[in-house]
Amino acid sequence: MSAQGTPPTPDELDHLAAEHVLGLADPADEARARALMSADPAFRALVETWRARFAELDATAAPGAPSDALLERILASVAAAPEAEAAPHATVPEPPARTPAAAQPARPAPGPAPRPAPWFAGFWESLAFWRTAGFAASAAALVLAVGLAVTLPGGAPKPVFVAVLLTPDNQPAAVVNAFANGTAELIPLRSIEVPQGRALEVWTLQDRGRGPVSIGLLERARTVRLDLGRLPATGPDQLFEITLEPSAGSPIGRPTGPILMKGTTSAPL
Amino acid sequence: MSQPDGDILDALRACQRGDQAGLRALYEREAPRMVGVAYRMLRRRALAEEAVHDTFVLVWRQAASFDPARGAARTWIYAILRNRSLNILRGETRTELVDDFEPMGLESEEEGPEGALMRLAESGRLRGCLERLEPDRRRAILLAYVRGLTHGELAGRFGVPLGTMKSWIRRSLLALRECLA
Repeated sequence: MSAQGTPPTPDELDHLAAEHVLGLADPADEARARALMSADPAFRALVETWRARFAELDATAAPGAPSDALLERILASVAAAPEAEAAPHATVPEPPARTPAAAQPARPAPGPAPRPAPWFAGFWESLAFWRTAGFAASAAALVLAVGLAVTLPGGAPKPVFVAVLLTPDNQPAAVVNAFANGTAELIPLRSIEVPQGRALEVWTLQDRGRGPVSIGLLERARTVRLDLGRLPATGPDQLFEITLEPSAGSPIGRPTGPILMKGTTSAPL
Repeated sequence: MSQPDGDILDALRACQRGDQAGLRALYEREAPRMVGVAYRMLRRRALAEEAVHDTFVLVWRQAASFDPARGAARTWIYAILRNRSLNILRGETRTELVDDFEPMGLESEEEGPEGALMRLAESGRLRGCLERLEPDRRRAILLAYVRGLTHGELAGRFGVPLGTMKSWIRRSLLALRECLA
């Protein structure tokens, strides 16, 4: 649209509204149009006018007979709606802040400078004096790692599948480890800016027919166990992605916001 | 659209009250056409039904935010449907769709952009104004709206540079705005 910084002319705004209605706005313009739609009644009116102009074309589509199950599916989704906003996401377990989770894999044996896991970060920093005494820190990390190992319920600590999630500019931003017992964890590798009123939603795609399934909702990037309980076992080349969504999660159970990162699973050697 | 908006508005009001009968009434009335609109873009029955499913769920959840003072109820519903369809088309299934996107030559006249034009009411203003555009430019506008093609895809189809297509669209929209004003 217009150059950065200059206010758009009325013609530019009208063109943006028209392109939004036609579906022709590029992603940046589309984001602008959506922001204006919620903030600017005058722009909303432009959009309404364009919608009304083209609406006749919707009636030119040859009607298709929906399959018998469609209405039932809709009613089932709608009946689930009041809970859908809170419940499924609330089941994403918080990682234990102090005690290692059972499903948390054992850390590799600590080297000379072990890196704390991200969800340990607060703990680690609150005991910052460890870092000033390098040797003590290593020793403490060793204790922690041993503590982790003994709490594992005999499961293999090694993930059966790993996915590295990349940002649109191909920077690694998180890792998903899927374990043989059906659990999985997400480990962010960098912080992500989450605007006020928005959240990070984690999705996986196993079956194109079913579409992406929400497996977690986070207010910020942090390590979590992912909610794979209702899904078949994770397989190779399974897509994981994180999108930016409203704070209660996508209102429709499918990604609606921009993809912040994505990646597919591979088996480690 | 020629049909009155009243029934749809009643159905939306029922949805606002949390009455599923409203949703059923809306479904009985609009679902076949909605499947048709989504199918024109998505070219797959299952995906079209997915878009319609999502649209009904959104209509149900957002019925309370619908304001009849801003625009017609039917237009609102189809805007949601078009948005969902475009999101599915551009996001979730992009690569798959490109594979079986039928070449222009195989598209029947009936289904193509001119078919949509022919089914517009002959006396309607939109048809009259579209017919005043040059044929290629008219087809580009119709393919964008009806099939969900992007500037880039339109440029490829018509064998013109992207900048040329963008300016076709811009000028066509200006002409339509004047003609329809």
